[in-house]
Amino acid sequence: MSYTISLTVNGDRRDVTFEDARVTLLDLLRERLALPGTKKGCDRGQCGACTVLVDGRRINSCLTLAVTLDGADVTTIEGLARGDVLHPVQASFVEHDGFQCGYCTPGQIMSAVGLIAEGDVGTDPERIREGMSGNLCRCAAYHGITEAVLDAARRMTDDKTRKSA
Amino acid sequence: MSYLTPTTLDAALGALSGRDTEAPVSVIAGGTDWFPAQGERAYNGTLLDVTRVEGMRGVSAVGTGWRIGGATTWSDILHADLPPAFDGLKLAAREVGSVQIQNAGTVAGNICNASPAADGVPPLLSLDAEVELTSTRGVRRLVLAEFITGVRKTARAADEIVTALYIPALSAGARGGFTKIGGRKYLVISVAMVGAVLTLSGGRIATARITVGSASPVALRMGDLENALVGADLAEALERVTPERLAALSPISDIRGSAEFRGEAVVEAIRRTLTQIMKGQAHG
Ligand SMILES: Cc1cc2nc3c(=O)[nH]c(=O)nc-3n(C[C@H](O)[C@H](O)[C@H](O)COP(=O)(O)OP(=O)(O)OC[C@H]3O[C@@H](n4cnc5c(N)ncnc54)[C@H](O)[C@@H]3O)c2cc1C
Ligand code: FES
Ligand code: FES
Repeated sequence: MSYTISLTVNGDRRDVTFEDARVTLLDLLRERLALPGTKKGCDRGQCGACTVLVDGRRINSCLTLAVTLDGADVTTIEGLARGDVLHPVQASFVEHDGFQCGYCTPGQIMSAVGLIAEGDVGTDPERIREGMSGNLCRCAAYHGITEAVLDAARRMTDDKTRKSA
Repeated sequence: MSYLTPTTLDAALGALSGRDTEAPVSVIAGGTDWFPAQGERAYNGTLLDVTRVEGMRGVSAVGTGWRIGGATTWSDILHADLPPAFDGLKLAAREVGSVQIQNAGTVAGNICNASPAADGVPPLLSLDAEVELTSTRGVRRLVLAEFITGVRKTARAADEIVTALYIPALSAGARGGFTKIGGRKYLVISVAMVGAVLTLSGGRIATARITVGSASPVALRMGDLENALVGADLAEALERVTPERLAALSPISDIRGSAEFRGEAVVEAIRRTLTQIMKGQAHG
């Protein structure tokens, strides 16, 4: 049996057909859609390297079957920058040294974008650490990561306030 | 493997009805328990995704109580407007894995998986939750304590879907709390956890429902302790949490802790939960 789904990935509509319903979103992105920015760490929900946004919410793409996503809107790390202009969270990770080897970074950044959009944690570092706890970093760049998310959260909240003022 | 994603309950129940073990059908919701359990094996049965079935998602007030739809996620619980008796369930929601897991994982999936360490079970037992099971044969309701029958065992028949959980009417002043003790701060499987719902009258406990998880095959209500706590203020309540009143538990030794450590962790977790509720510190 083959399955055809239609989803939006980083703003582009993609129609995908596959023979095996067991394909995860992570494998679909990396192997079929040429979007290798999303990383595979553990492939079982424990590390967060594969975090993407589905309909604006962060999930582990390794635990999500692609067939479940007909009609969904997916954003990956490749979809954040606008041309050469980095997304504020990306810029903040660069500024604050929010990484060493970089392997966990796409997942950290997507998770941070989701966290800030959830709007629950504001700029409380402890709540940010809790909210980012699904993203592990083998290099233990946690200090820089928390600083980066905190700063991005501040900047993005200021921007919003300015725009609505 | 084949995959079904019905949008009506009739279609979902039809897919489960009359199946034999030759052609197994697995119900999945968030898949956060189901996937990791598959390991390297290739699953060859049918997957029935219930997350798009109409009416399965979300929390609503029904009659004098509450209905939690069978595909409601932990994030839905966290963001629902619920009375303070649900504070324990909300605290538990925040402890289930990470936000990525909470956005996909469901309350029903947590109880169907029936792990002794399932964070949702103690607060739900303290809320007197009931489980609604639906099949083409009809609808039945079981109290949660009867639904979970053992380690990874439930009373669900193969053709049944958990369509909802019901929380019966709660007294107006009821407050909930939850404490999980694990090896590190976040993303942990519990060593011990406690869900409680108390009603207070003039700073003293009027009614108590205390459930301990991870210290027996199935999480248990602590009836002796519940009775002993009636009339106590906070200081007295803390003193009344004694090992003798927790004798129904059978903590085991495993990789996450020795039986002795678990026993001490339970006493500590109950005391923290009582303090949390009686000092009004439980927030979801
Ligand atoms: C990294 C990681 C960390 C985790 N941490 C925790 C934790 O801290 N605490 C905790 O309690 N759990 C934890 N879990 C386990 C899991 O996320 C939760 O138990 C979650 O609530 C399961 O929900 P689900 O919808 O994903 O279930 P699924 O995996 O979709 O289903 C689980 C089981 O329930 C059955 N099922 C699901 N919905 C229905 C239904 N409506 N009717 C009938 N049967 C149904 C399925 O057939 C399956 O057997 C963790 C998992 C991962 C991967
Ligand atoms: S690869 Fe998905 S969580 Fe680790
Ligand atoms: S930067 Fe190396 S794993 Fe995080």
